[in-house]
Amino acid sequence: MSGISYSEILKLVAPEMLVSLAALAVLAIDLLVMREAPQRYRFWTGAAFAGLGCGLAIAWLLAMNPPPHSMSAGLSLLQGTYADDVLVRLVKVALLVMTLFTLAISMESNFTDHIGEYLALILLATVGMMFLVSSENLLMVFISLELTSLSLYILTAFNKRNVESAEAALKYFLFGGMSAAFTLFGLSLVYGLAGSIQFSEIYSKLHAAKIDTLLLAAIVMTVIGFGFKIAAVPFHLWAPDAYQGAPTPSAAFIASGSKVASFFIFAKLMMQAFAGAEGNGAWRHFTPGWLPVVATVAACSMLLGNLAAIVQGNVKRLLAYSAIAHAGYALLGLLSNSQQGMSSLIYYIVTYGLTVLGAFGVVAIVEERTGDASISSFAGLGRRQPLLGLCMMVFMLSLAGIPPLAGFFGKFYLFTAAIGAGKDMGMLWLVIFAIAMSAVSLYYYLQVLKQIYVVPAVEDSRPIVVPVSSRIILSLLALVVVVLGCAPELLLGRLITAIKLASHQ
Amino acid sequence: MFENLAWLILFLPLLSVAAITLFTRSKPRASAQISIFAVIAAFVLSLIVFVFFRGSETNSLPQASVPWLWVGDFKADIGLRLDALSLGMMLIVTGVGSLIHIYSWGYMKDDPGFARYFASLSLFTFSMLGIVMADNFLMMFIFWELVGISSYLLIGFWYEKASAADACKKAFLTNRIGDFGFLLGILMVWAVLGSLNFQDLEIRLVPHMKDYAPVATAAGLLIFCGAMGKSAQFPLHVWLPDAMEGPTPVSALIHAATMVAAGVYMLCRVFFLLNVPGSHALEVIAWIGGFTALLAALIAVQQNDIKRILAYSTLSQLGYMVMSVGMSGPTAAMYHLTTHAFFKALLFLGAGSVIYAMHHEQNIWRMGALKKKAPATYWTFMVGTLALSGVWPLSGFYSKDSILAQALETNHIALFVLGVFVALLTTFYMFRLVFVVFFGGARSEAADHAHESPDVMTWPLRILAVMSIIGGVMGIEGLYTKQFAPNAEGHAAGFGQQLLAPFSHSPLAAYLGLFAVIMGLGAAYALYSRSLFDPLPEKLGWLSRAMRNRFYFDELYERVIIPFTQEALAKFANAIDRWIISGFMVRGASGTTDLVGRALRLLQTGSLQTYAFLLVAGVALVLYLVLLR
Amino acid sequence: MHIPLEHYLIVSGILFSLGLLGVIMRRNLLVIYMCLELMLNAANLALVAMSRFNDNLNGQIMVFFIITVAAAEVSVGLALIVALYRKRQTAHVEDLTTMKN
Repeated sequence: MSGISYSEILKLVAPEMLVSLAALAVLAIDLLVMREAPQRYRFWTGAAFAGLGCGLAIAWLLAMNPPPHSMSAGLSLLQGTYADDVLVRLVKVALLVMTLFTLAISMESNFTDHIGEYLALILLATVGMMFLVSSENLLMVFISLELTSLSLYILTAFNKRNVESAEAALKYFLFGGMSAAFTLFGLSLVYGLAGSIQFSEIYSKLHAAKIDTLLLAAIVMTVIGFGFKIAAVPFHLWAPDAYQGAPTPSAAFIASGSKVASFFIFAKLMMQAFAGAEGNGAWRHFTPGWLPVVATVAACSMLLGNLAAIVQGNVKRLLAYSAIAHAGYALLGLLSNSQQGMSSLIYYIVTYGLTVLGAFGVVAIVEERTGDASISSFAGLGRRQPLLGLCMMVFMLSLAGIPPLAGFFGKFYLFTAAIGAGKDMGMLWLVIFAIAMSAVSLYYYLQVLKQIYVVPAVEDSRPIVVPVSSRIILSLLALVVVVLGCAPELLLGRLITAIKLASHQ
Repeated sequence: MFENLAWLILFLPLLSVAAITLFTRSKPRASAQISIFAVIAAFVLSLIVFVFFRGSETNSLPQASVPWLWVGDFKADIGLRLDALSLGMMLIVTGVGSLIHIYSWGYMKDDPGFARYFASLSLFTFSMLGIVMADNFLMMFIFWELVGISSYLLIGFWYEKASAADACKKAFLTNRIGDFGFLLGILMVWAVLGSLNFQDLEIRLVPHMKDYAPVATAAGLLIFCGAMGKSAQFPLHVWLPDAMEGPTPVSALIHAATMVAAGVYMLCRVFFLLNVPGSHALEVIAWIGGFTALLAALIAVQQNDIKRILAYSTLSQLGYMVMSVGMSGPTAAMYHLTTHAFFKALLFLGAGSVIYAMHHEQNIWRMGALKKKAPATYWTFMVGTLALSGVWPLSGFYSKDSILAQALETNHIALFVLGVFVALLTTFYMFRLVFVVFFGGARSEAADHAHESPDVMTWPLRILAVMSIIGGVMGIEGLYTKQFAPNAEGHAAGFGQQLLAPFSHSPLAAYLGLFAVIMGLGAAYALYSRSLFDPLPEKLGWLSRAMRNRFYFDELYERVIIPFTQEALAKFANAIDRWIISGFMVRGASGTTDLVGRALRLLQTGSLQTYAFLLVAGVALVLYLVLLR
Repeated sequence: MHIPLEHYLIVSGILFSLGLLGVIMRRNLLVIYMCLELMLNAANLALVAMSRFNDNLNGQIMVFFIITVAAAEVSVGLALIVALYRKRQTAHVEDLTTMKN
């Protein structure tokens, strides 16, 4: 075994430890000390501790860069149960930032009295995601996936005043359970075929092997679990209900952080462990492997997500379908099966996560003030609360891929990666499809903007009061979306260096 | 060193947007002054750079570019390209733009959104300059979309009006369809040639011709899609007339002089990618342009709203330019674009002045006899009309003639005949407009009390009128010839020779062009010089009805294509999501007793299990696709 | 007596399918849970068999973890059912249809 001492391991997992400790601290403080305090006060204290934990973890990740103990760029401990390199750290930072924003947008909602539990669960889900992105081992993937999922199920059920919340959580849970079972079955087959649960060994066993039925079945079943997490068709059916029923901050977290982590590990698993079993996804030249599977899933997601979003009357549900569509676009990065593809995938999904956090932040406020999240309750928002309207416009346009916002550049870069992949523009058919679908998508984002700016408020046209903290957070997110669109290099440059370094280990 | 001024030109309008939104939002006059100052300064700077360029004897000034994103294979710069093409266009955008900014000062004076209006106008100028100066596809595309957004803001300026809101949505969505093709075309070019920079592309095209030739037609047509959206070519032309819901100066700036010309400009910019042996893209472009020119001219004949007539006229002229590009004549296209910018901006501003005089009445059959009430407007409008019709020696004559000559030179006889016919129609509908609006008797109360517009509005008209007159003999064609055919000899040297050049260069085109003008003028005089109502509907019957209803394209789109593509598809997709529920409920109710029926009836237990079933079905489908094929 | 790997896999496949069928067809949420557990255990069986035939312990260790995780999952699931039952007095899936667009 690698001769690494426990103190070194503790140092390595310090960010995860910090976040876990923060979760426990929040729980303990809220239950022991703050029980009688007013809700707002309790929330602020809890959020402060949670934020402190995340902040310290981020600081640790950034300060200890590159990993101090090895000359190589990264390392993989204990049969890949804990891998650490620059790229992983970068993704973890992104996850923690999303957690911070999730905490921030939770502030305005008062759907629960169990504040300590709520915050602790968000942190635990984050810990799960952090372990997820640094695992290179099937067992670890499964366990951290479950930790994340279980926390998210409960977060979905947290709105006890709303009937829909529990129902949404149950659907989410049953679906999750099913796809977890599928994944597990797939993983067991992979283990059987490769004789190992470590990514690198799976690769060395499988890359030369003939692609037979059992391996394909294993791959497909593995894909299902991730397809569920990223809400890709046909594993998406939980998403609209879960987004709609869940408390808005929870939905935001499901759509942002959990997606980033799942996408990252999905891509890593496919590109590392199953390299050699790609097959071919070019139009009419399908040869078995994971590329055609993912290509089919991507095409279905873009089609169904975008078209179904058009008829939605609830903004949360609309965002759910749009999330399905965006999962489809992001899969293009995976399909490129290259370093550029990986960088475009991460860039896209991170900017998407930030954008959608902002969008849900606006929805949370509107829902809180008007009672529901139907499209019509956004009517007149542009006049009732100009800043909120402006932020929502930035988020919607970025989701639709309008320059110079982050969403545009993400898509453009994704498309160049996909079109340059393989021989003879093999993925051209999917790129054409993706661009056509993103043109369609503008329609439903404009529906929301039309409500905000054109349609006058029907019943209540008084200004909406929004506390300064929320204003700052939403403006900050909008600013990030704009800046990352104008200067993508800020994020992309780091990503690319990190990927280059990580691939040299 | 002059090339660094170009950055200032580009960013001046953006600074003005920033200044207005941050500081002077509540001070309308100061906002307008900032905006007007920015655009005039940009114009003066452009002029300086232009003079420097003319003196430099080179084909393009050194590119000033800043690396924006260099990652792996993917390189994108923010760079400015300064050559005859872009400098000419910059002068148009800032020059005509300045006049329109000034004019807006008068026209929009009482509007509550004065500051917002000027901020949007500056934003538009910035994005338009971005398109013009971009030295690579990505930057061009970004500004391309920005122009879309800022025009969206301007068309929907009076967003309280439902029609304005709908119009801007239509414009935006139609443009998106075009942009879809454009983006795809860009990606295709990138995949084959491995660069986005125009200059690089031109250099790489020669050694990579073998790779590019097979996709040249497809890539060319996809890129043309973008032009089709922006320059409103058939079948994406429907948004332009509706876009007239915006304030009239906006129509003049965006929908006459600059934005709609961006499509043509872009085609000229990437002409080397279209003009590839074995590619049929140009042929298609020429015919689509020609068809649009004819269609729009026919529609214009039977419109009654003064701005709509001009809108269709713009469509028709854009068709002309696109046709010219298609006939391998980017020089002629840019020439016509330039002169057209002068006289169409003039006509729109003139129309604005008429509308202002009539207190926002736009129906020409409620006007009349404005010649005496608004003399300055009348005279300048007349100049614009003559120039648009192509009367010698006004600018329109020369540029139109060079397009017709191009058709003859490249043996496009059918398109030549079409071009002449469109010229006839153009003269006809323009003089119909002039006769009805300025001559005859006043047809309404408002026309009786009409008054001339203030000086701040008429002076831009006068300047544009002068430009429309002399535009043909200023050497504009030579400028663009330098760009597209650097080796060709200059046409005529002396002023007198230049004046008469078309007659010696391609006499058939020149004389037939003039003949068309005379015919059109005669017909318009006979029908409209004294009539109180439109005699054409009676004479033409269904044809007139079809023309007035724009050949039912809007209806076709609204009732057939849009419902089908958008709503039906969306419902379809939503239905797929739940197809089992409804589908099997029906079957279950019908009491099927066979095994399938029973199995399916079990699925009715609730939506959750339907979902679960769907998931399994999805898994099965994926497995089937992967394993059994 | 030597039992080949295929037999284990077939049994586990059958168990998995039975569990899946149960999830799709049963109406009571508790029974659906049990069927989910059946699916997980089918995977466990496969893992143990594979571990035996691969001659390493990874698979068996994984099974231990999975059993633990499954226990956690049940606790969360039961809590969700209780939450639902308090609101709606039902544990039947056909009642879970309040959300449509």
